[in-house]
Amino acid sequence: MRSCSLRIFLALLAPTLAWAAPNPRLALPEFAALAQKATESVTITLDAALLAIAGRFLDGNDPQDAAAKEVLKGLQGIYVRSYTFDKDSAYQQADIDAVRNQLSAPGWSRLVETRSRKSQANIDIYIMVTNDQATGLALIASEPRQFTIVNIVGAIDLDKLHKLEGQFGVPKLDIDLPKTASPNTKK
Amino acid sequence: MNEKLESRLRAALRPVAPRDEFTRDLIARVAADRRSSFDARSAHGRRPRARGWWLSAGMAASLLVAAGIQHRLQERHERERGLEARREVIEALRVTSQKLNLVYEVIKNQSSSPADDKPGV
Repeated sequence: MRSCSLRIFLALLAPTLAWAAPNPRLALPEFAALAQKATESVTITLDAALLAIAGRFLDGNDPQDAAAKEVLKGLQGIYVRSYTFDKDSAYQQADIDAVRNQLSAPGWSRLVETRSRKSQANIDIYIMVTNDQATGLALIASEPRQFTIVNIVGAIDLDKLHKLEGQFGVPKLDIDLPKTASPNTKK
Repeated sequence: MNEKLESRLRAALRPVAPRDEFTRDLIARVAADRRSSFDARSAHGRRPRARGWWLSAGMAASLLVAAGIQHRLQERHERERGLEARREVIEALRVTSQKLNLVYEVIKNQSSSPADDKPGV
């Protein structure tokens, strides 16, 4: 009787705990109005199922595909919103702030903050670490004629992102990344 | 009176030998009747069965063709979806790497002109 009550209590508690757990997936708006104004827009929504399908079509013999395949391991979603405009200040700061506010939630921490006066590019990289494992990454880049939001959900191996060097034009970042355990590497 | 009537009746109903062709015609007609009734019976019994067989075979063939087409369409749809997902993955990584490149540039420029850029790592 007692164990039955405990089970019922745990069953009722489970959804509450799930809700309370930090969610690495950001609620990205559709930005439909901005997409209409933009000269170029990229809207990518790849959930776990689509990533699995994409993985089947990546050629392991092609260096670019092989690198992408390595990065995809353990990921549960990639979400990108990027808009390019033909004039300055075509978007409101409030558009970005709606997303940035979500990153003040517990679990998220800012990894990199860059402000360039020369290119007027502001780029922030946030990371969510759960049990010493990077489970979410968010990148917000705002430039006068472009803004980009990238949200990667899942077991992100930052070393693998490093290894994208030369594949997608990614240079090796000489920054101290937090030590995160890769799902494929033994501790 | 009675004898007269009787003789008249006998004269009227006397046996007459049939014509030579009578037997031949009779046999021919009986044979023709048998053939036509046999044809009618066989036509009545066999045609629907044959029609049913062709109908079933046609339906089975149609089902097979439809299933094949459905399979091919689904395969093509899956392939298109997979290639599109692959293209999106490459595009997402390209956009991400482009922005990481910008971060790198800012960090790299920090040492040369610290007043211009403000990185925080």
